Amino acid sequence: MDNQGNRLYLNFGSNNERLPANDRTYPTTPSTFPQPVFQGGQPAAAQGGAQQPQAYQQGGAAYQQGGYFQQPNAQYAAQYAAQVGNSQATDYAAAGQGYGGQARTTTPGGANNDPNTGLAHQFSHQNLGGAGRASPYNSGRAPQPAAAPGQRPRTADSRGQQPGYGSYANAPPLPTQNAQADYFAAAPERNPDKYGPNANNNQKKCSQLASDFFKDSVKRARERNQRQSEMEQKLAETTDARRRESVWATGGRREGSYLRFLRTKDKPENYNTVKIIGKGAFGEVKLVQKKADGKVYAMKSLIKTEMFKKDQLAHVRAERDILAESDSPWVVKLYTTFQDTNFLYMLMEFLPGGDLMTMLIKYEIFSEDITRFYIAEIVLAIEAVHKLGFIHRDIKPDNILLDRGGHVKLTDFGLSTGFHKLHDNNYYQQLLQGKSNKPRDNRNSIAIDQINLTVSNRSQINDWRRSRRLMAYSTVGTPDYIAPEIFTGHGYSFDCDWWSLGTIMFECLVGWPPFCAEDSHDTYRKIVNWRQSLYFPDDIQLGVEAENLIRSLICNSENRLGRGGAHEIKNHSFFRGVEFDSLRRIRAPFEPRLTSNIDTTYFPTDEIDQTDNATMLRAAQARAGAAAGTGSAAQQEESPEMSLPFIGYTFKRFDNNFR
Amino acid sequence: MSNLFSGINARLRGTSNKQNSGKTPASPISEDGRVNSPRGLGQRSKSSSNLSAASVSSASLSSKLPPLPTSPALSQAIGNMASTGDEVLSSYRLPQPLPLWLNPVYAKHIVKGNFMTLSSRPKSVEQGEWVAHHVVEHYRNLWNFVHVIYAKESNGNNLCNATTCPRMSAGPNHSYTWLNKNGDRYERVELPAIEYIALMQRWISSKTDDDKIFPTDAAGVSFSHNPSIANTALLTNADEWIGKRSGFPKDFASICKTIFLQMFRVYAHLYWAHFVEPFYHLNLEKQLNSCFSHFVLTATALDMLKPQELEPMQPLIDLWAANGTFPPGSKAYEYANLKVGTRLLQMAGMA
Repeated sequence: MDNQGNRLYLNFGSNNERLPANDRTYPTTPSTFPQPVFQGGQPAAAQGGAQQPQAYQQGGAAYQQGGYFQQPNAQYAAQYAAQVGNSQATDYAAAGQGYGGQARTTTPGGANNDPNTGLAHQFSHQNLGGAGRASPYNSGRAPQPAAAPGQRPRTADSRGQQPGYGSYANAPPLPTQNAQADYFAAAPERNPDKYGPNANNNQKKCSQLASDFFKDSVKRARERNQRQSEMEQKLAETTDARRRESVWATGGRREGSYLRFLRTKDKPENYNTVKIIGKGAFGEVKLVQKKADGKVYAMKSLIKTEMFKKDQLAHVRAERDILAESDSPWVVKLYTTFQDTNFLYMLMEFLPGGDLMTMLIKYEIFSEDITRFYIAEIVLAIEAVHKLGFIHRDIKPDNILLDRGGHVKLTDFGLSTGFHKLHDNNYYQQLLQGKSNKPRDNRNSIAIDQINLTVSNRSQINDWRRSRRLMAYSTVGTPDYIAPEIFTGHGYSFDCDWWSLGTIMFECLVGWPPFCAEDSHDTYRKIVNWRQSLYFPDDIQLGVEAENLIRSLICNSENRLGRGGAHEIKNHSFFRGVEFDSLRRIRAPFEPRLTSNIDTTYFPTDEIDQTDNATMLRAAQARAGAAAGTGSAAQQEESPEMSLPFIGYTFKRFDNNFR
Repeated sequence: MSNLFSGINARLRGTSNKQNSGKTPASPISEDGRVNSPRGLGQRSKSSSNLSAASVSSASLSSKLPPLPTSPALSQAIGNMASTGDEVLSSYRLPQPLPLWLNPVYAKHIVKGNFMTLSSRPKSVEQGEWVAHHVVEHYRNLWNFVHVIYAKESNGNNLCNATTCPRMSAGPNHSYTWLNKNGDRYERVELPAIEYIALMQRWISSKTDDDKIFPTDAAGVSFSHNPSIANTALLTNADEWIGKRSGFPKDFASICKTIFLQMFRVYAHLYWAHFVEPFYHLNLEKQLNSCFSHFVLTATALDMLKPQELEPMQPLIDLWAANGTFPPGSKAYEYANLKVGTRLLQMAGMA
């Protein structure tokens, strides 16, 4: 078959009819993906619960209240309106632009060689895609961008008539509220408290899991569609039958393997521990090898009870989210997360080069050229994190890892804030205390409770976050590299990571961090009084530009370079001649020398107790069990992923394993 | 367009349903209610009321209809010929006033957009792999809701218990019995819904956890045959079945169909018996709607559910076709009666 035919086959153009039903493919461009209903999720349900019954029972009067109207408008408009305006993604800005121009495309085939081919299909399929538009009964109704409440409850109240509903003026007389009440069983007033605590607990799980299901499904479908287009591209590039067959087979196998991976439960027993390469308060990091295929990973396991006790739930979630969302070469890759009764597991790529801390310990100081390389790479890495909407907050040499080629990757996002609600410790407290789905509590948090399905959403949410919670208040992290505004509790923003960059650069050139002190208390004090305490030793000659850059980073937030974006830093004269775009492709100044793929030379494994936490925990439980004389009385009734705070933790990436 | 069959024909085919379930390897609980190495599952719709429904409201029509329908064209033709939305709706013999979940106000979702984007198979993926994926995903989803009615309250009762739901039912016209193996014979056992659901859960997970039925070995994965690309004479072999290439067993498709049918029944029970208590009160009805509509869309698109099997939830399916939840071109849309759906929207003042 010719290429064109194949493309159409994939791309669900007007040629659909020729396909057997099972091969019918639907547009999976952003606008046709299922998207959250605005005001959706928890608060939506909660508000509907409080307001709808009231509205119906009391008849028309209730509709007069602005409170009622605003909600349904937002909700129904978002649900049924064409994909326009602010529901378009910024990341899909191209799509947004294309929209106007291509919306009337009727021959998607014609656009097939266009890189924007997906867009053409998106639009050509408006008839298939959209909710309300689809019905022939709606055909007379023009999509109403802002208010097309395809199902807005109709009332006799003329105030309810949206502009654009003029065409309905001739409609037959509307059923009255009474008539409606006759047709359908009356909706009782919602009473979520009529059941016991278990039901309420399950309510939250259920709602969360349903949201997560669609969020994950949409994300996967979108990525799948992307890969599908790439495969189409490859198929189109060659007429060689064998090559085409192999592209096809490989593509199908990869997708299939991923699906199989998705439905298979992962567990720690599937991996052999090679060595424990890191330990901390909440868990450990091990170099492991998958039994099935011998592939090597770093597995971080976190102790659930510790996370709980130390109030780290939000931090775990933050790390999981940032790693799951990012597909950046500057961020350590997360392959999958899973859990059992006692631990959360993160399976990550193993970076054999160790961390920058080890390097600094080994070399004490770097030359200005080498410093330039690492600082430039860290700038790009921090920029990548910021672009994901996260503040790292804990940039320090230990969190800067070196990959096989000696290039930088960031890790340890446990303290990152993404301004996501799920990262807010208060959220978990509320979740656990169980009073959070009351309408009033949520009135101000509608925007962030939605399922965060689309990039457009995220940009909106980020806007919202920027305005409302630009300043996040909390004090975290180890002191040396932390910006003063984080301690002082007056709020901080993305630029706090640039301060950390300055301190790391100082350390690379000078040999110690600028505010190091005997104890962390003194360090805090020095950082807060940085104007007095920042001191460049006389015996170390720093270039003028290097010192200037450091001073532009270690300064008060208002004057800090990078406040307006990473480009400010990249343009600093210290980096003159650095080609940021190709930085990751050049050879790094230090390339790890390794003897095998499980070589842990660059990790201080000698200093780490090699007994793993699972072993210790089992021993402790056995002792406790023996002491109490009761067997496994505390048998967990439900599967571990159902335990409320950890819902949504499990994650599986389509990754190099399947590419 | 419409499809009278989906509503009425299903009733007519109560008999054929019976045959089918008779053939399904039965399964089995022992008398103490425990599962005995389940080999299959069978239950049937108690269709006496269904048959009478058909005979009352559409006797004349039914006699003219061929037993096996659902070419869309045919059903559309008949749908057009036949009755108004009201007439079809009344042939469903629904309780009056209509249940809350049929009120379009409460038939809404937590997501919008075209759900088909989630159910349509990527064309290079082997069909068996795709079906297996959806079985597992929807099973997980459904159990998320079942979990809520399982919840034990301080009085020691589940929200769904032998008093609230002495039978596994989906409204007044449908109830399901469990096939219990007794020696060589299978006998129908009427069980409280909660027990039925628990048994079914065990039965389904015994299938999905069996890697002979749902293989997990990454090495066994194959891809879909594409005649335009691969010339290898792989297919058109009489001894070919869904999933064969990827190591799924011969009865894989029929097992999956049974699983989907069973899951459908649980959903139907949730709607008929628990929509208000507890889902509506817990503000979960939109979540339920989204998961169920996605389920129907997927199961029909994969031919895992037949139109007549949708009967207990037919009016909601009609409504979702009319309000745009089911995109035209989807099987679910095809199986719906738009007249009924539109009528329901009118009743709510929304059409």
